[in-house]
Amino acid sequence: MSAIFPKWTNQLPLMAIGGAILVGTAVIGGTWYYATPKYTRVGYTPIQPVGFSHNIHVSQLGLDCRYCHNAVEKSWFSNVPASSTCMNCHNQVLKDDPKLSLVRESAAANKSIPWVQIHKTPDYVYFNHSVHVTRGISCVECHGQINKMDEVGHAQSFSMTFCLDCHRNPAAKIRPVDKVTDLNWKWSDDPIVNSQKQADEGKKLVEHLKVESLQNCSTCHR
Amino acid sequence: MSKTIPPTCPEPATGRTYWRSLDQVSDTPEFREWLHREFPAGASELTDPVTRRHFVKIMSASFALAGVGLGLTGCRKPEEKVEPFGKQPEGYVHGVASYYATAMPTRRGAIPLVAKSHDGRPVKVEGNALHPDSNGGTDRFAQASLLNLYDPDRATKFVKGSSVTTAQAAQDFLAELSVKFTKNKGASLAFLVEPSNSPSRDRLAALVKGVMPSMGWFTHDPVDSGVHAAAASEFFGQAVTPTFRFDKADVIVSLDCDFLGSEEEVHNNIRRFSSGRRIEKPEDKLNRLYVAEGLMTLTGANADHRKRMPSSAVIKGASVIAATVGAGVGSAADLSGEDAKWFVECAKDLLANKGASLVVAGAGQPLAVHALAYAINAALGNIGKTIEFSAGASTGGTIQQLAKALDAGAVDTLVILGGNPGNTAPAELNWAAAQRKAKTVVRLSYFEQDETSAACDWQIPAAHYLESWGDARTTDGTLVPIQPLIAPLFGGMTEIEILARIAGSSVVGAYEIVRETFAGFVSGDVEGAWRKFLHDGFLAKSAAKTVSVSLKSSAVSAALSSAKATNGLEVVIRPDYSVDDGRFNNNGWMQELPDPITKFTWDNAVLVSRKTATDLGVANNDVVKITVNGRSVEGPIWVQPGQADGVLGVTLGYGRTKTGRVGTGTGFNAYTIRTSDSLHIATGAKVEKTGKTYPLSCTQEHWSMEGRAIIREANLEQFKEHPDFAKSMNLHEPPKPAGEQGVWPKPLYPNPLDAVKPSAHHQWGMSVDLNACVGCSACVIACQSENNIPIVGKDQVRRGREMQWLRLDRYYTTDKERFKPRAGAWYMPPRDEEQQYQSWIDEVQVVTQPMMCQHCESAPCESVCPVNATAHDNEGLNVMAYNRCVGTRYCSNNCPYKVRRFNFFDYNKRPIDQLYKGPFGKRKEDEWDLLKMAKNPEVTVRMRGVMEKCTFCLQRIESAKISAKVKAGAGTFDKIPTDSFTTACAQACPAGAIVFGNVADPNSKVSKLKAQSRDYSVLEFLLTKPRLTYLARVRNPNKAMPDYYEAPLSLQEYESKMGNPFESHGGGHEAGHEAAPAGHAAEKGAH
Repeated sequence: MSAIFPKWTNQLPLMAIGGAILVGTAVIGGTWYYATPKYTRVGYTPIQPVGFSHNIHVSQLGLDCRYCHNAVEKSWFSNVPASSTCMNCHNQVLKDDPKLSLVRESAAANKSIPWVQIHKTPDYVYFNHSVHVTRGISCVECHGQINKMDEVGHAQSFSMTFCLDCHRNPAAKIRPVDKVTDLNWKWSDDPIVNSQKQADEGKKLVEHLKVESLQNCSTCHR
Repeated sequence: MSKTIPPTCPEPATGRTYWRSLDQVSDTPEFREWLHREFPAGASELTDPVTRRHFVKIMSASFALAGVGLGLTGCRKPEEKVEPFGKQPEGYVHGVASYYATAMPTRRGAIPLVAKSHDGRPVKVEGNALHPDSNGGTDRFAQASLLNLYDPDRATKFVKGSSVTTAQAAQDFLAELSVKFTKNKGASLAFLVEPSNSPSRDRLAALVKGVMPSMGWFTHDPVDSGVHAAAASEFFGQAVTPTFRFDKADVIVSLDCDFLGSEEEVHNNIRRFSSGRRIEKPEDKLNRLYVAEGLMTLTGANADHRKRMPSSAVIKGASVIAATVGAGVGSAADLSGEDAKWFVECAKDLLANKGASLVVAGAGQPLAVHALAYAINAALGNIGKTIEFSAGASTGGTIQQLAKALDAGAVDTLVILGGNPGNTAPAELNWAAAQRKAKTVVRLSYFEQDETSAACDWQIPAAHYLESWGDARTTDGTLVPIQPLIAPLFGGMTEIEILARIAGSSVVGAYEIVRETFAGFVSGDVEGAWRKFLHDGFLAKSAAKTVSVSLKSSAVSAALSSAKATNGLEVVIRPDYSVDDGRFNNNGWMQELPDPITKFTWDNAVLVSRKTATDLGVANNDVVKITVNGRSVEGPIWVQPGQADGVLGVTLGYGRTKTGRVGTGTGFNAYTIRTSDSLHIATGAKVEKTGKTYPLSCTQEHWSMEGRAIIREANLEQFKEHPDFAKSMNLHEPPKPAGEQGVWPKPLYPNPLDAVKPSAHHQWGMSVDLNACVGCSACVIACQSENNIPIVGKDQVRRGREMQWLRLDRYYTTDKERFKPRAGAWYMPPRDEEQQYQSWIDEVQVVTQPMMCQHCESAPCESVCPVNATAHDNEGLNVMAYNRCVGTRYCSNNCPYKVRRFNFFDYNKRPIDQLYKGPFGKRKEDEWDLLKMAKNPEVTVRMRGVMEKCTFCLQRIESAKISAKVKAGAGTFDKIPTDSFTTACAQACPAGAIVFGNVADPNSKVSKLKAQSRDYSVLEFLLTKPRLTYLARVRNPNKAMPDYYEAPLSLQEYESKMGNPFESHGGGHEAGHEAAPAGHAAEKGAH
């Protein structure tokens, strides 16, 4: 009878356990490392078909975010402007610049420019831009200092924790509604005063606007 | 790690010396070096500890980097593109839905609608509440019509003969026809159309008639409800259309008229009927409905008194009523005994309500019954009060006349606009062959392949109403626009475009035609009026004027003398509640909609009474062969409680020989036994057993409530005596134990809401008025459309895996004599398959109840979820986080209401016939491309392995909140304006039976309803505190009737099981006296 299983099979359970531990560790470690949004997204700066610089348009020329992203206060989606919006100025300014040839063609032929999407929430998250920007949450909180970016990069990790951090304590991020698109705005230039004021004034704003600390599943998932 | 040098072979001290080479013999330093190095030059550099480690380090680092690199690209979400417009269209905001007023044309009217468009595709239709003759409700067909737009089996091509051609070629051909038939004045040209009341079509038809005076114009509709107008026109001597005002009638008698179910304009009838059923206080007026009918219909299910009798015998009852009310016709001797008494008492009740009563005859009844009904109404002074008349229109020839003309060879070119006569024409016409006798057949067809398409020379794809311009009149005569929300997906045309081309008109665009017609209705600023017309969805003050009429008794008696005698088994043929006459046969939502009465999906059956089944020796699922008038059809038997003996009930629309991928293989075709002289009732039928059985997919197999207080009812008298009767039927709480501190009774499950309630802006709740609900199921389809609910197919339904979030529970109840509750300690309800043999099902009352997630405050489902995927939000919703769900199904097991639905398969990704093929079952690309356009982008499309259920239309709540907050901006957000939005089911309900809103706001409609005394929760003794409560049903029987009942049968069942609810302590709040714990509260019967 002993010939049915060779002796090394006595080691099988041990080997199986060892193997399982190894594979398990690898899977957990791999998921831990790679599947965290922080590692997959932050700093993601793809090359765009047109080298549009937010820095020039906002910091130097002083355009308001909502000139181009005009649906941000109406829709869940903050629109990427149509090429015709670009041409409102660029049919006067730099109208023969070769760097803008794609924009001109696009506007003339009503053909899309395939911008690479950078910020994206998963399909099961129903994020709504309008309700955030009209109620005192600035663009900068999620998108970073986009006004200073020559190329747009992913500034924050869009993990659930990131959303919840603010939803748990909106007072820490809220600002006067009219300062939402002023990405450089601070309560004070002194960081200590600033954080003190954020806490105090933020609390007042939350009370005045009746901002809820929404942590229900249904707030984002439908 | 140290360097490992292979030991040199020790040389033997004595004996022979072996050498490998001369170098070894000579033992040169070169040889020593070579030996030491073992490998050729360079190789042993790797044995150097530092170098080797360095090498491995570098290699592993670079592998790791490559891994990170690869891993990053692998783990990173795929690169997606945002492609904005080149030129921004005016007024378009991506992500914001837009709404357009339009209308869905029906047989003789239209349903005014507001259609929702998301990113250019229609995703939902709602009723237009602004319309003067609408409350914003719709019927189930209007809700399901959206899916027809995205039907992958739609006609997509212009076909000539058997080859595909172009739209241009078809239009050129129509132009040729125009030239040809203008020359010969339309001789041998015939049109076969469906009934419609589009002013544009009428205008164009007149235009065609103008240039082609000898053309033939024939109308065909398999379930022609025009009989009401035709009968009225005959008996009143002028072309009139009746409108039955159920809202103005206190006593309604239906003579086999299914006005709440399968007749035309059901949504309007339900709205009007329910307005007389909605009561707040016991003193309020409640209408009374008498129904005499053969089949069990939705109307019968809502009757206060129901007489089951063969449909062909209803005329006798009508005759008795007519004689009793003194209509000058009929005879009280037509019936005798109990039957006669029923109708005599019914007539007396009518007499007591002169001018506020209404008698309606069914569309399936012969002209004689309509004659009697009009005579009775005239005698009661109801004409002009509960029946209003407006000028009617002539309809043209019939399909029988057309068939005769075809057989005579008198038709050269036949133009078929819509419909499917190949399937629906009366069987004796042998339509397929008759149609082929025309030299050229041109057809405007909605489907690529159907029973008519084989015998056509030209097939032109038809446009859906949501993608075409048109106009129509609702039944009150108000002009409504049909506005497209999307360009025709497959370049389809409309009938008015075809008619315009044949007429040779210079205006051939549908928009221009409709606009031109509209200009004829208004004076002055046409453009302004047109804009308002499109915006509002109707032309104000365009309703038809009522005309006064008087009955021509000679016509009535002429009709009566033509009545035929009947004998033997009769077959009653009626349109199906789900697929209508077959036009919704390829619509998955309708196929899977459980029939409101039988609860079948995907099939029709031969419905018989218990006694008839016994006489025939058949049982459920036995396939029988029905032969009538020499034609036969095979179908499975189903015993229908409450059906008249000697009646075989069959429905139309199934068993299509050529249909799309959804409808193929469903049911049997009742058209094969349907002939012109017995379109609705065929007598003298024979039934043979075939020995085969056929499985039916039924969603509710158990018929009895078993005496439980799930649906609570009382008679009006009882309601007056015990306004809180619904609460009296609550079970009593167990006594408070001695040591118990705090609230008592203590819920079994924690109530997470208590803590968060004060901080929330709203608390959502719903109230369903069982008195107003008739069970029409429009809400089920509305929910399916709004919430992206997939269909699962017949096989899955049989396994109990249907996905509809909202179901209508239908129970049959019987009296206390026949209901035998537990005799001893142990009671076993009858097994589902034994019910059909039990005598109690002969005389039953029907109760229906919409059942969906009750949003319990102390929810049993939440406590058992191991991953916290189902949890409460602070506004009282029981929410599902799909992404957390791992599919243990514990929640569903623990749900006492059985309202949770599990995705056993990826019903969206896989076609329903390939579910078990796993990844190999793939939908065709074109199919999914179309179907996904019907999905609501605001709701997650669920995937295999997750649980789902009613969310109270969370997406609507959230978007209402968001828009209210956006509107508040820098100001204070308090709450959403009261009753400013509602759920999909509530919005679709034509009866207004479902009301949703903020229960924390005392001014909301729902709060007021919940404050009514009829308010109760289902299974309240579990203390789950549902947010969805029901308003108990009140019946209004007549004491003089022979079938008067002291209490509704459901209450009698309850009583014989639990004791009289009004004698005991009444109400669950007088706790402490009862010995029985809540779980065993059935013992309460002893008190």
